[in-house]
Amino acid sequence: MFNILKMTYKIDMTYAINSFIYSIKHLPIFKDLFPDNSLYKSKKLKAVIRILGILLSSARVILYKILYFWTIYMIASYLTPKNITTGILHIYFIFTTLGIIINNKILTTNTKKYFSIVLFNMDAKNFMKANFWSDRIINFILHSICLWFLIKSPSIFIFTIFMFLGRFLGERINLLYYKKYKMPIIYNYTIYWTVLFLSLGACLLPLIDTQVSKEVVLVIDMIMIPIAIVCYYGLVKIDNYKLIYKRMNTKVAALNSNQSKDYSRQAIVDIKEKDKKIDEKKLKGKKGYDLFNTIFFERHKEILLRSAKWLAAISLLIIVVVGILMIASPTLQKSLNNFLLNNIAWFVIIMYFINRGAIITQAMFYNCDHSMLTFNFYRNPKVILNVFKTRLLTVSKVNLIPAVVIAIGLPILLYISGGTTNILDYISIPIFIIVLSIFFSIHYLVIYYLFQPYDKNMKMKSITYSIISAMTYIISYSLTDFRMSTTMFSILAIIATVTYSIIALVLVYKKSPQTFKIK
Amino acid sequence: MKLIIKNLTKSYGEKKVLKDIDFTFEEGKIYGLIGRNGAGKTTFFNCLNEDIEIDSGSIILSDEYGENRLKTEDIGYVISTPTVPEFLTGKEFLTFFLEINKDRLQEEKTIDEYFDIVKISKSDQDKLLKEYSHGMKNKMQMLINFIANPKVLLLDEPLTSLDIVVQEEMKQVLKKMKKDHILIFSTHILELALDLCDEIVILNNQKLELIEKSNLNTKKYKDKIIESLKEEKNV
Repeated sequence: MFNILKMTYKIDMTYAINSFIYSIKHLPIFKDLFPDNSLYKSKKLKAVIRILGILLSSARVILYKILYFWTIYMIASYLTPKNITTGILHIYFIFTTLGIIINNKILTTNTKKYFSIVLFNMDAKNFMKANFWSDRIINFILHSICLWFLIKSPSIFIFTIFMFLGRFLGERINLLYYKKYKMPIIYNYTIYWTVLFLSLGACLLPLIDTQVSKEVVLVIDMIMIPIAIVCYYGLVKIDNYKLIYKRMNTKVAALNSNQSKDYSRQAIVDIKEKDKKIDEKKLKGKKGYDLFNTIFFERHKEILLRSAKWLAAISLLIIVVVGILMIASPTLQKSLNNFLLNNIAWFVIIMYFINRGAIITQAMFYNCDHSMLTFNFYRNPKVILNVFKTRLLTVSKVNLIPAVVIAIGLPILLYISGGTTNILDYISIPIFIIVLSIFFSIHYLVIYYLFQPYDKNMKMKSITYSIISAMTYIISYSLTDFRMSTTMFSILAIIATVTYSIIALVLVYKKSPQTFKIK
Repeated sequence: MKLIIKNLTKSYGEKKVLKDIDFTFEEGKIYGLIGRNGAGKTTFFNCLNEDIEIDSGSIILSDEYGENRLKTEDIGYVISTPTVPEFLTGKEFLTFFLEINKDRLQEEKTIDEYFDIVKISKSDQDKLLKEYSHGMKNKMQMLINFIANPKVLLLDEPLTSLDIVVQEEMKQVLKKMKKDHILIFSTHILELALDLCDEIVILNNQKLELIEKSNLNTKKYKDKIIESLKEEKNV
């Protein structure tokens, strides 16, 4: 087991060091200085980078933990300002329970596992054990330290022990589920979202003066000890880890590699078997690119329509739950009223996450444009613009499904929370949400058409595209700190997004016939 | 040693790709697996390699330990588009592989000796696998499979991307290897199959069929294979 950990660590480090040297070597100045492969051989240089690497990777792990506990602290200070300690422990308990179910380690996919098990032929069961125990021990230590900083009381160990033991049960349940359904629990959206919602709801319990006490968790700990032992016994009894790891990770490894053509198309944007057959009625009377577009969208119902409907349903559920909670809690009424009237900018990042634009354009490339762009007729400017127009309409419609629910829900929530004297808010908020939704639909499609970022091997080639994508997130996120009255912000945002959209559309019409091609 | 396939069936939705396949592969032979495009050769390999679930049937390895289900440890699979850890050099990749598998290795050779099997030069050994050509990545993949020494080795179009000199060298390696192994080699190039393989098996109409050479000369044998492929297509 220790040998496996040592080897995994060695491989990871070498991999990281080489990636670092590779990126340095490709900088313009160094390119000429080190034209050969001598750098990869240099033991001294690697030793220096290794120390740096160890420091950086440890810092990253610690930083993530600090961020996690900082989030818990922030939520607690909002929910239970008078007794933050109880709030922190309550939320920590709920987050841990959520993690036990949806954040399993054995079945998460990554390329590292593929290399270790399939290519390097490591003993799969020992690999599982080594990673499981190292994860448990490191997390126990880091969680205990972080919680100790927040709450200087031995009672935190009751909670970290729960975190330590809970994962045994979580992994066992996940593997039992995998045995039956051949997929991890989180792939089942119904379970995933239900658990997520129940947990989010449970996080809000302190608002109605209910929280998990350390006595209850202590009892749970006692019960968890025998359960964890039985679960671990179940885990080590499984013999086919090699097969499990292989099945789970082959696609993702191929996807991350250079020669990922065959797998990537399947993995990212799998078309469901039931979507392969299209209802004849839907194609009736359609011709040319309209027909072409309809077929594409019908085949991708799963990642388009169904997920948009799901998002709409979830949004509705949140609105209803928050509405009900508000009626029960005047504190929540006040905070939400304040939030809706002063922090509407938060909805930029929310709408950013809800938008399906990025995944839709990926599907377009992998399942359609990737091959179609090799034909001359498809690159004809008229055809490009025609397809763009039809796509824009469909993508906007799909994204509007959850947006409309939110646009209707928010003014209602505002009203329940105590309302506003400024009638304009009831109108500007829904328009703002709808405009945002259309904006993101346009944005993703436009940057896809202007910077078509993939080459024929489906490798991301455009740095500009990556920068714009990152900037979109950064700007959306940074707006969360932006405080301005809702009316003012909505109006400014509406003007900005409409202006951007017009400019972007004009650019697509002028430039895309030259830019929309395989890199 | 025998690889016994009984009633193997695999469908995708309503489309049956493999139907009640019964076939026995024997040790000491290289089997050339030939089929038309979309006949299901890769599906067949994926079933043997347990990359996908089979609908029914069994895949059994019969050796000195008796008849047992073919385990994932018993198989090596050389795929046509290899996935390799791109940010390791060839040498690092092989060093790690040897270190991890040291207890399972039958004979110990030096790194250089191993690289010599697939003719990867000293200067290329220190290159990142990312900078290897498709053919060189394939050579690395073949090399670790030779070293791992699995009982059954599946090869999906492994030689197509190699230059003719290396192709010839690889053929010799495979011929040497066949003694204690079962090798199944899928290809579209009939000449290659006839040159390298001891038996030709065609996959058509969802079944595997051994094409007997009997007393035919190469030309007539080739015609017989093509005819079999055509005939079955029209069934």
